[in-house]
Amino acid sequence: MSDTRRMLAETADPLFAELGPGATAERDGDRLDELGLPLLMVSEADGGFGGTWLDALTVFRLAGYHGLGIDLPRMVVARIAAEEDERFFHLMAFARAAQIAGALDAALAMVVGYVNDRQQFGRPLGKFQAVQQSLATFACEAAAANCAAVGAAQALDEGDAEFEIAAAKLRANRAVEVGTTVAHQVHGAIGFTQEYALHDLTRPLWQWRSEFGNDAYWARRLGKDVIARGADHFWPDLTARTD
Amino acid sequence: MQTFATEVVDWPDTAPALREQVRALVAEHGEPDPVRRANSWTKADPAFSRRLGEAGLLGMTWPKEYGGHERSQLERYVVIEELLAAGAPVGAHWIADRQSAPLLLRLGNDELKERWVPAIARGEAFACIGLSEPGSGSDLASVRTAARRDGDGWVLNGQKVWTTGAHVSHFMIALVRTEAGSERQAGLSQLVIPMDAPGVSVKPIIDLTGAHEFNEVFFEDVRLPDSALLGVEGEGWKQATAELSLERSGPERYLSSMALFLELVRYAGPQDNPALEELVGRLAAEAWTLRLMSASVAAKLARGEDPALEATMVKDLGNSYEQAIPQLVQAAVDFGHNESAALRAVCFYLLQVSPSFSLRGGTREIIKGIIARGLGLR
Repeated sequence: MSDTRRMLAETADPLFAELGPGATAERDGDRLDELGLPLLMVSEADGGFGGTWLDALTVFRLAGYHGLGIDLPRMVVARIAAEEDERFFHLMAFARAAQIAGALDAALAMVVGYVNDRQQFGRPLGKFQAVQQSLATFACEAAAANCAAVGAAQALDEGDAEFEIAAAKLRANRAVEVGTTVAHQVHGAIGFTQEYALHDLTRPLWQWRSEFGNDAYWARRLGKDVIARGADHFWPDLTARTD
Repeated sequence: MQTFATEVVDWPDTAPALREQVRALVAEHGEPDPVRRANSWTKADPAFSRRLGEAGLLGMTWPKEYGGHERSQLERYVVIEELLAAGAPVGAHWIADRQSAPLLLRLGNDELKERWVPAIARGEAFACIGLSEPGSGSDLASVRTAARRDGDGWVLNGQKVWTTGAHVSHFMIALVRTEAGSERQAGLSQLVIPMDAPGVSVKPIIDLTGAHEFNEVFFEDVRLPDSALLGVEGEGWKQATAELSLERSGPERYLSSMALFLELVRYAGPQDNPALEELVGRLAAEAWTLRLMSASVAAKLARGEDPALEATMVKDLGNSYEQAIPQLVQAAVDFGHNESAALRAVCFYLLQVSPSFSLRGGTREIIKGIIARGLGLR
């Protein structure tokens, strides 16, 4: 991780943790402004932070991780793209993929903590093989969402990222299904209550999955492109995007 | 909690040229049959392996002293993903190039290294791995095949099973019990066994498609020199499990059904079918993600780290993906037409072999158990 990104993370992490799901733009927006976060992607020449998309990933991911109640990613993207533009839609799809990655990691941490504490039948839930296997599945999905978000950020930093954003949002969307299902199942009834914090992560996850392109939307777009390019181009195209 | 630290991979500058080289070679000598292009890392074609050896594409990272080419780990990665994406018949040398030679180079004595490694790099010597035994299944520590000291050598007795490629291999690296009365992981060692040694016999196990990949291997008073011991006596378990990341995270764990995906794209071309478009998009997104994950692990391995948990996750996701593709294609495609004949043939072949995808290299349940341990649950 670059020094800039580490610094960003060290700034954003405690602030987002403190503000949390209850944050509102009216009450807490100033705190984000003070740190210049909404200007993250505005160039330094224009008085912004001049960040890269990997920097943005770090911030968006943490916003997702802490279930930040303010839509900071939207504020960031709105500064560099007009809402009616296709680019805005793409960048927001990337932002939601990054938030999903963060929120899934947070939900995974919450569920791992829970199964280590909660005793049933005389031992922690986490000692039951069935529970372990569910959580392993969840961990793989969270890992895939995170990796996809990194891939999209890297592609954005290098230029054309249409394919990567589509693929990352679709992959993240799919991870939401498994992740939220396992998280709630393993938590049992307590996770279904308002007093317990799991819903601060799972409700946004469900919302982000349907925003800026649901599974069907991105799958069809990607599929049409891949089919139009033809079978013999799929692998050479894929490798040419990273070489 | 972040269980998979994604590495932004710095692909080698030589990658485009290497890809061109491999693509040209496969076009010239590869596998024309679309069915055999599926799951191609199990398809043995010794002539193709020798051709790769001549082209300098085996033993890519090994020292020149042993016939290698001293190229980077990521350059090797580029070559193997190209071979698999093209469905090249790489099964003969796959295990030797991926695991056996690196293990020999790390732990072998001079005699073992000189005898086997240059021949592997030429594509002339192939290897198999002797782990499973009758009754052991996933419980590998239950090994009973035993070698006892006899003068300045060893005498080996026992049996291995599910040994991939034993019938085309020139040697086996086997995990055997060298300490009488030892139990579980203790007292095990690795021995290098020439397959033509007197007392070694190979019996085929034919799989449900009628193909011959697996074997039973019997050892009856097989005499081996002292130099057959690989590494340290008694450390066999640690040695054998240390390199599982190499085996679990490679592109062979998600590309086995790539041939079918490509046939699906070909078939979908003129169809104008939204369900097929969606399926293609979904599978393309997953392939892209898995490639990032697999390459991320490769980059860490190249730096000398052992990202064992990440490697295991790549295997679990990759196996699930390559295993799901034939079922998804079958559910989405009407096979009753002539234009779907190639797709149907590849799909039905993969439907039949895909149960093995989540068995080989560690069953899904064992793999998930390892991930659970990584999460701190065990």
